[in-house]
Amino acid sequence: MAAGEQKLGNALGYQLFYLFIKVGGRRCAYALLNWVCAFYVLFRPQVRCSCEPYLTHRFGAAVGFTKLWQQYRLILSFGRVMVDRAIVATLGAEQIKVSLVGREQLLQVRDQGRGMILLLSHVGCWQLAMSAMGALNEPLYMLMHGHASSFESKNYQTEVDSSCPYRTIDPQGYLGGSLEMLGVLKSGGILSIMGDRVPRQEKNTAPVSLLDGEVALPISPYHLASATGAPIVVLTSRKTGDSTYEMVVADVIEVPVGLGRKADKFIPYVQRYAAILDDYCQKNPYQFYNFFNMWQ
Amino acid sequence: MAKVEEIKEQLKVILIDDLNLDDITPEEIGDNDPLFGDGLGLDSLDAVEMAVIVQKHFGVEIKDMEEGRPALQSVQALANFIVDKQEKA
Repeated sequence: MAAGEQKLGNALGYQLFYLFIKVGGRRCAYALLNWVCAFYVLFRPQVRCSCEPYLTHRFGAAVGFTKLWQQYRLILSFGRVMVDRAIVATLGAEQIKVSLVGREQLLQVRDQGRGMILLLSHVGCWQLAMSAMGALNEPLYMLMHGHASSFESKNYQTEVDSSCPYRTIDPQGYLGGSLEMLGVLKSGGILSIMGDRVPRQEKNTAPVSLLDGEVALPISPYHLASATGAPIVVLTSRKTGDSTYEMVVADVIEVPVGLGRKADKFIPYVQRYAAILDDYCQKNPYQFYNFFNMWQ
Repeated sequence: MAKVEEIKEQLKVILIDDLNLDDITPEEIGDNDPLFGDGLGLDSLDAVEMAVIVQKHFGVEIKDMEEGRPALQSVQALANFIVDKQEKA
């Protein structure tokens, strides 16, 4: 979780959701969620603050009820994703259907045998949508932190133990896991990285434009691609219905080999990714889940 | 032995050029100085770049963490690794 994000809820609250899911299913849990989200938006200023940077950049400055309504919709949308994950953990993966748009393109890249970097973002629900990556029929290595939220932690462990097709590389490990990632790509493997958040103390970023502002995004995926010759497949996920998600192959970015170490060499490729994020936010305004000020 | 010494000197120059270490000279890099953290202050991106450098200039591949971790401790360790790999090739 990025700096500035707040941990919400407590163990009792999470158990209540699990109980509602077991007793009444999705609709029952969603009904509870409506009230919980309304409570958080009305009575927890830090929740409203965490929504503010994104909503302001996406919709412009809003006031009064409009602003509250935007905050509520964003939190509710995020809450539904969390509930869906809990449903999968509690009732099984068959409760959610995930479709993959761009399957042929993805398989073509895999068949080139150059390794592959799957570049994901905190949009939709990448955890659930990753099940669509079963189409690759190969193990995935994912760079990811342990989750800060106990709700996510409980869910994530359950998903990993049951159905998730990925293995993790810890960015807090030796040299940020860079040598492990290099090893995966050199052996023609598939590596998954989040492209929209900068790990703590990471200095290797590039300034790019997103939603009419400037953000710093990490260059490490593009540098790895340049070092190994692996193509970058940009994936976005979105919730399309109560029990349906879609994973989309949004772009395949080829970074030239041997660009070297300087961050500015990678700006065009990072900007290309940022443009995809921008377009995603225009089309799915309440499915972008970075609850901190990316534009600082 | 002479080859290790030669590679160490080459490495210092190459690291400065390819990693853009503008404020340091080859003479200031100790053979056993840690490359990362408190030593030269290199980071994770530099580690990846070093794997590229070693392959490009010496024809030696650092395949993974198992090989890279001991090899990237210092210039001395990296030179030993390169010579060892070249001799086995």
